Amino acid sequence: MKNIYSGIREQRRDTDTFTDWGGGSIDASERFPKKCLGRADRVFSQGLQCRQTNSVMALLSMEDSVFVLHSPLGCTGCCCMANDWFRVGQLHRGNYAMKNARVIVTNLDNRDIILGGEEKLRKAIRLAYTRYQPKMIFVFTSCSSGIIGDDIEAVVAEVSEEIPSIVVPVHCEGFKSKICASGYDSAFLAFSQYILKDAPKGETENDLLNLFAPPTVSYIDQTEIERILGDIGIRVNYIPFYSSLEKIRKIPNARASSAICKVFADEFMKELYEKYGIPYSHTIMPIGTRNTDKWLLGIAALFDKTAQAQEYIKEEYTKVRPLVEELKSKLSGKRVFICGGTGRSFAAAALIDDFDMKLVGMETPVYDNDTQSDLEYLNRLYGNFTLDIANMMPYEQVNLLSKLKPDVFIGVPVWAAKLGIPTTHILDIKRPTMGYRNLVYLGNKILYQIENPGFNKKIAAHARLPYKKSWYDEDAFKYIK
Amino acid sequence: MSEILENPHGNCSLGGANAALTAIKRVIPIYHSGPGCCLQTTAGEASQGSVRLPYYVQYTSLPCTNMLERDVVLGGVDKLDRHIAAALEILDADAFFILTGCTAGIIGDDVQSVAKKYQNLGAPVYAVNSAGFLGESCRGYEIAIKALLDNIVEPKPQKKNTKLVNLLGVMPYHDPYWEGNLEEITRLLKLMNLKVNTFFSHDQGIKEIKSSSSAALNIILSPWLLKSAAQEYEERFGIPSLRWHCMPLGATETAAFLTAVGAALGLEDKAKKVIAAEEKYLYRYLETGIGVQNWRRFSVVGDASTVISMTRFLANDYSFTPDCVIVTDCVFRPDDKERITDALTKLEYSRPPEIFFTGDQWEINNTLARFDQTMLLIASTNEHEFAMSRGLQFFVAAYPNSERLIYNRTAAGYRGALTLLEDIYSNL
Repeated sequence: MKNIYSGIREQRRDTDTFTDWGGGSIDASERFPKKCLGRADRVFSQGLQCRQTNSVMALLSMEDSVFVLHSPLGCTGCCCMANDWFRVGQLHRGNYAMKNARVIVTNLDNRDIILGGEEKLRKAIRLAYTRYQPKMIFVFTSCSSGIIGDDIEAVVAEVSEEIPSIVVPVHCEGFKSKICASGYDSAFLAFSQYILKDAPKGETENDLLNLFAPPTVSYIDQTEIERILGDIGIRVNYIPFYSSLEKIRKIPNARASSAICKVFADEFMKELYEKYGIPYSHTIMPIGTRNTDKWLLGIAALFDKTAQAQEYIKEEYTKVRPLVEELKSKLSGKRVFICGGTGRSFAAAALIDDFDMKLVGMETPVYDNDTQSDLEYLNRLYGNFTLDIANMMPYEQVNLLSKLKPDVFIGVPVWAAKLGIPTTHILDIKRPTMGYRNLVYLGNKILYQIENPGFNKKIAAHARLPYKKSWYDEDAFKYIK
Repeated sequence: MSEILENPHGNCSLGGANAALTAIKRVIPIYHSGPGCCLQTTAGEASQGSVRLPYYVQYTSLPCTNMLERDVVLGGVDKLDRHIAAALEILDADAFFILTGCTAGIIGDDVQSVAKKYQNLGAPVYAVNSAGFLGESCRGYEIAIKALLDNIVEPKPQKKNTKLVNLLGVMPYHDPYWEGNLEEITRLLKLMNLKVNTFFSHDQGIKEIKSSSSAALNIILSPWLLKSAAQEYEERFGIPSLRWHCMPLGATETAAFLTAVGAALGLEDKAKKVIAAEEKYLYRYLETGIGVQNWRRFSVVGDASTVISMTRFLANDYSFTPDCVIVTDCVFRPDDKERITDALTKLEYSRPPEIFFTGDQWEINNTLARFDQTMLLIASTNEHEFAMSRGLQFFVAAYPNSERLIYNRTAAGYRGALTLLEDIYSNL
């Protein structure tokens, strides 16, 4: 029997997965093939991000859908964030009559925890239908619904018979994974099990690419990506951000698949290959010229357009070269520390080499086969640097930053800024980051923020971090055991 | 039983407790919860009022046991124990509060014993049962205050401080204006020579909370929150409570409020003087803006205190006409509903608005739709969609807010009246 992927990244069969490790990058790349990174854990940790958050973020902008959270109220926190991206995204797309995502929460309480919440879930799904008659109703599970053992599948099957909407359960209980990207997988598993099901391959549209994009890609990045692909004659089926049932149903008709983020839809693309024979390209995020080249060539090869893409890259590069040269002259030699999600952190790490900057430290949430190949590449570029396998863990971050003293920090700025370090980010959900043309914005942003660190320098004199002075002298990885 | 809700106007009790505790100087919560709760509650509560974040720990810097499947099955007490031991080594705080999430709450981890163990060693570590399924964020705020009463407040105050008042009932970070409002009310009470414990605004911390048991009066600026806390202060420390039905805003409401405080503390004359001086200040400005703003018929959606405050100010002091008022708090006691209804209907000259209690977006939108004469809607980001669909003038003053960054802006007292009128000014 075929192994069905559980949607939990720790349980993938074709790679080892580590989430807690710290040390030298060369050491890491030597240990990983020998399975010597150890199944460590942290005996002190700070908050992670749960997979429900990622499932919700991935889907909340789907058209004609209602989102039922089978949870207490708190688990709608991620909807506040995702709804903001959704609303702003509508404005960016020119839809000034912006709508909220329709989120219905079962609001599990004390009584439901004891007696079960299935009846409430039934009601909530029916309510979703009577209020909006959507094409799809997504049902997200939670830690609570998982632990009390509500039979979501049974409720969904039962209510599905009453209403014409497609009811799609997304199994995303937070306690089942340390890796929030598992939540993306849960969303795609739901697509394949409840929407595509046994849909036939259909007629292949020879210029159509399934492009899987996380919600953190801004609209201007989407248009840049679509422009680049359009210029070499590839049409895009953009999923799932601002997507629709029709677009999901079109997935089997595409000639090939790719993603904008490396930990997005990677397992799903494998499944599409096995089920429909749709080939896929799995490279890197298209941030910076070199990454964009790599990403584009990966896709072009699947459309027999390698030569055309190479020609195109040359043209684009001529346009952005003056900018890259200017940035290089100003940024050369700057020492950089990066903290980001898997896709962004590696893209950023490769990007800064374009500007002749030097990587001194990096935090990334997961170490797996993909990390290994990316890291070998980075080790060749930069030699040994400090690697922290962590989903932020700000206490380790500030410790490392205070020792490494980088010239710039790339990542969520809250803590590095308090140390007075110039900060910038390549995660800009509402503004440009990707492709060739947007490099102008990204490059200038990085440069201008580095050359003018006034705010961080000044706030550092007043801002308070919660750590004892003694912590900064300790080994940053003291609590990984 | 709690209701199924669309686009709720609150987070869970864990979110409420965390937002309150992280607003206290040098206090750190330690989450004993699943791996997403720190982010969910920061994104859904602490940052949804005024957009900014708690200063000391926030989002993924909150210590957390990140309970996984094996902890759910085997229990997470040992993991918690190790986290506290390390937290005490690394983190610099005056108090640590273990906050339980749903996961720990359901499996029934004995967090009290872990906290006790550290208390016996002299460490300020306290356990709080705050699992999300216990209720909404307003419940979490009450849980936080109870935790302070149980663990921090001086149990045997030496003597009464007749000049000290506790100012409670304002939910930190949930109320977009919480900090600016506390500043304005504190400013006014200081003019009456009072010392004010707010617990939560910037320089206040454990010291002020400790001393709260020697206060002369509790002032609770909410029509319904902290009923049990008020009782406990009264029973344990003999501190009476003055419950004011909203955040006082504008000349009429603030004068009535200050007069009531004066009456409770024998400072009637002082109150009169402050009122006179402040009204002079306020009306010097107002007389330069006569006729600049056209009359509006308005509706308000939000938590009880905010809707009362906005309605009473705009109706009593600005001659706008209230249309529809929707209270999104989960008010469950009939006498609380009555107090809220009274505050909204007993207006000076104005006709009263119609009043509804619901936190469900579908019901809110459908209710608002019945009031087609409304021109101005004061509400939360959730109602922005409705306002745009009707072409209404729109202003965010309540949770959830993802569109206005608010630091010290106030919608309270005399200065807040001016600020609010500036904010809702429109020459369209």
